[in-house]
Amino acid sequence: MNLKISALEFVQEVKNGNISAEDFVAKTLERIQSVDDKLHAFLHVNEKAVDQAHEIDKKVKSGDRVGACFGMPISIKDNICIKDSKTTCASKMLENFVAPYDATVITKLKEQDAVFVGKVNLDEFAMGLTTEFSAFGPSKNPWNTEYVPGGSSGGSAVSVSAFECIASLGSDTGGSVRNPASFCSTVGYKPTYGLISRYGLISYANSIEQIGPLTRTVKDTAFMLNIISGLDSNDNTTVDNKNEDYLSEIDSGVEGKKIGIITEMIEEGTDPAVLSATKDAISKLENLGATCEEISLDMVKYSVAAYYTITATEAGSNLARYDNIRYGYDFPVEGYEFNSYIAKARRNFGPEVTRRMIIGGFVPSTGHAGKYFLKALKVKSKLTRDINEAFKKFDLLIAPTVPILPFKMGEKIDDPIALFLVDINTVTANLTGKPAISVPFTISNGLPIGIQLLADSMQDKSLLQAAHALEQTVSLPEVPI
Amino acid sequence: MVTEEEIERVSKLMKIDVDDHKEYVDKVHTMIDYFDILDSAGVESEEISMQEIPISNLREDKYIPFDEKLIKKLNNYKGTYVRAPKMS
Amino acid sequence: MTKIGLEIHCQLTNLESKLFCSCKANYREFEINENICPVCMGLPGSLPRLNQEAVKKGTMIAMALNCITPEKIAFFRKNYFYPDLPKNFQITQLNLYGDTSIGGAGSITVGDKKIRITRIQLEEDPGRLIYEGSSSKNLITLVDYNRAGTPLVEIVTEPDFENPRQVRDFLNILSDLLENLGVSDPSLEGAMRADANVSIEGGKKVEIKNIGSFHDLEKAVHFEITRQESLYSRDIEIIQETRHWDDKRKITISSRSKEEELDYRYFLEGDIPWVRIDSKTQEKLKSKMPESISSKKERYISKYDIPTQVADVLSSDKFYSDLFEESYTEANAKEIANIITTDLMGLVDTREKREESKITAAHLSDLANSIQSGKISRNSAKNALYEIVKTGKDLSQVMSELDLGNVSDESELLGIIQEVVSEEPQAVEQAKSNPQTINYLVGKVMQKTKGKADPKLTLELLKKQIE
Repeated sequence: MNLKISALEFVQEVKNGNISAEDFVAKTLERIQSVDDKLHAFLHVNEKAVDQAHEIDKKVKSGDRVGACFGMPISIKDNICIKDSKTTCASKMLENFVAPYDATVITKLKEQDAVFVGKVNLDEFAMGLTTEFSAFGPSKNPWNTEYVPGGSSGGSAVSVSAFECIASLGSDTGGSVRNPASFCSTVGYKPTYGLISRYGLISYANSIEQIGPLTRTVKDTAFMLNIISGLDSNDNTTVDNKNEDYLSEIDSGVEGKKIGIITEMIEEGTDPAVLSATKDAISKLENLGATCEEISLDMVKYSVAAYYTITATEAGSNLARYDNIRYGYDFPVEGYEFNSYIAKARRNFGPEVTRRMIIGGFVPSTGHAGKYFLKALKVKSKLTRDINEAFKKFDLLIAPTVPILPFKMGEKIDDPIALFLVDINTVTANLTGKPAISVPFTISNGLPIGIQLLADSMQDKSLLQAAHALEQTVSLPEVPI
Repeated sequence: MVTEEEIERVSKLMKIDVDDHKEYVDKVHTMIDYFDILDSAGVESEEISMQEIPISNLREDKYIPFDEKLIKKLNNYKGTYVRAPKMS
Repeated sequence: MTKIGLEIHCQLTNLESKLFCSCKANYREFEINENICPVCMGLPGSLPRLNQEAVKKGTMIAMALNCITPEKIAFFRKNYFYPDLPKNFQITQLNLYGDTSIGGAGSITVGDKKIRITRIQLEEDPGRLIYEGSSSKNLITLVDYNRAGTPLVEIVTEPDFENPRQVRDFLNILSDLLENLGVSDPSLEGAMRADANVSIEGGKKVEIKNIGSFHDLEKAVHFEITRQESLYSRDIEIIQETRHWDDKRKITISSRSKEEELDYRYFLEGDIPWVRIDSKTQEKLKSKMPESISSKKERYISKYDIPTQVADVLSSDKFYSDLFEESYTEANAKEIANIITTDLMGLVDTREKREESKITAAHLSDLANSIQSGKISRNSAKNALYEIVKTGKDLSQVMSELDLGNVSDESELLGIIQEVVSEEPQAVEQAKSNPQTINYLVGKVMQKTKGKADPKLTLELLKKQIE
């Protein structure tokens, strides 16, 4: 059985009766068994997946109404709650946490008969760029297992790229969906802020993060978006997309579109192979009828500092609830005094999370808030104003997703600033709330390079159209695993 | 300038026991030093803005009990109260 | 110059649900930890959902306190660790980026003193803590989260109070006002709590927390003033600090300096956008507000000629004014007001008595009319009232069951009058010359009829008899 098909192809095959969901899911689980030892994408595998697929097959056979997913196997980043399922955020602090409710995106996918094959790995509490900060061991890049798969949604990208599932849901706070998508050669999408409900996504930096799908094709992303987007009464920050259909007219192309090349994102520090791929993508888009021109967004220089200041502050607050009193891991309270119990219990956070929380306590504190946190908020405001101006002139913006090629495990783990700067091309979309997508573009010396497109708020449909057009201009080799 | 005392004070504030403050000083110091770049952004006069919604979008005031006995699923549940460490 | 300021927390107990989730706002009837959900427990991945009615009621309170109500409000996080705080931060309001609390810069008059309101904010109540073991040896803290997330309105005043008496009067006015608005039932346990700050002679401000009731508040403020005056007179410095009220020993005690570590790191709550309360909505809210207490009082005095004291009591108590509003007519308004504030009051002076009372507006109307038409005497009316409150029976039923009706049968009355006249010849003589003294004879008739003689008729017949 061919596991290397897209979501839309899968649906077609099941509808046509060529394959059954149960067979496909069973084969998928076999695949996971055979490769995941080397890749470590999965934290837990759903043993009941085949039975669940079986139930859906019954519906298909009997002509009952079947949801749009037709039993397709999907992996879920382990910071998204599935009811009665362990949800650990790859942290020892939540080792034993079983979510008592479903995230909205999970409810929506369940309604559409998706099958969740398992929860996948991430950097602890989504703080990181390589999955090396997971408390349960890093994930490996299927293109070369000595290299990082990117992060924080590393497990998502690996599972899709290595055919361990058809699609995955990750979360993107500063590039955490787009970055691993680029490193593993999959499509990775971050929607307009508020397009997808965050209810059930365990918060890291709630004012800028979004759940995003990772898929094999851009059309698959549009398909997923149709299911999981929309106003949700459980999340006050969601916006009304009036049930937009992201799949229709996705072939519209880029004829006549004006695309801005963000100069700050192709500066020194960008790998020559990445630069050349970007130039190639630009000329391909021009061949399709778009016009490309350079534009400067000078706030990008400060975006990484602003991003880490803001996210550390929010993380420090969002993670305060983990005091192990109501849920967490086994550590009885008897005999302890309140403050010392909590401080001891929270030692189970990994070193990166601990560092971010110390920063998060520092930058908004009295005496420092003006210099750091408030300034960061102002940079965010100005960056948003500037990008809004840019979108008056341009329909889309383009840049490489990551300025460098995937790197080896352990290479950057001791250099925090070097690690920060891997994010420099992606945090802008989060800080400004704009939709952005990474399209797999080329493989350079066996390592994937993705190209990023951005659009104005609520222009997700036209963004997907442009991404699809770009995707169609290349034909990529198969992953060697 | 980030000192060991500062790290100690903040880690107390954030309620995290840090074994070796020195180990964190270096990395945190580097990170916070990097943030100094914000000083040259020239954004003093920017206004802070946020998403807005009209009052009519807010949740209706209705009592809807949660459909499960939630407390049974959480830690330290021994009958009725949640047990927390003693207060000093 | 003593300066006292207050920080009052009032639960919006009349709301159906909590501030950020759909659990019940009034948690009092639930078993421990049965009124919770992922949101108010702050479970990972949960998000707050702001209660529309809470914003409306908060705005109404601000209007009733003559506050400025901004067009946009925002919420902030106050970050600190405590076992009663499920998220280890409280969602509250602040004026960090302009005026974004639900109300600001208002005032209320207490007697002849204007008390300025600094601001009003919406925020969530934490859970409740119980300490197992004695306070010196407590081993475990027990937490009940039923209350966590209950909607609170915090009202902060300027330090405009000059003495504890003003504080007490203000709190009474505020309770009545909030009850009258229909936003809260202040008589519910824990529905209203207050902290105070006290300074004397332009000195440092001392905060007092942990005050259980308004009764204790007055005591605490009084104690603190005395304490500070005593230090002042001995030239000892008054330290700026937070003290807590020790209810057992009835004194304020310095709180441990653990407070000094607190840095709340306030920032905008990213899960709740700014809420626009446009002027149209605000006008609508204003027009739907119930009539204020002072306006009612005015109306009672000027339109129905009700005495000031009576109008005062009637207007400031929602239970009474509701009954009054439903039952009165132009003709019997004064009488009903009188019945409520003299006879009924003693029968419904507690929460339980009011809940169990069976009296309705119809009863009152009936009673007032009967008194006015002479069918029942004032005295008998008292007894009838008692029975009505207890059983809810019709007035006519009660009157016949207890034989409370006035004796208005002429011949019966005449017989009794003749008895009295024959028994009191001296009084009769007096009455002939001095008509005022006939009341003595009327009294005697009343005695003989156990107060049930129709007073008008008695007087009439007596006069005739004497001529």
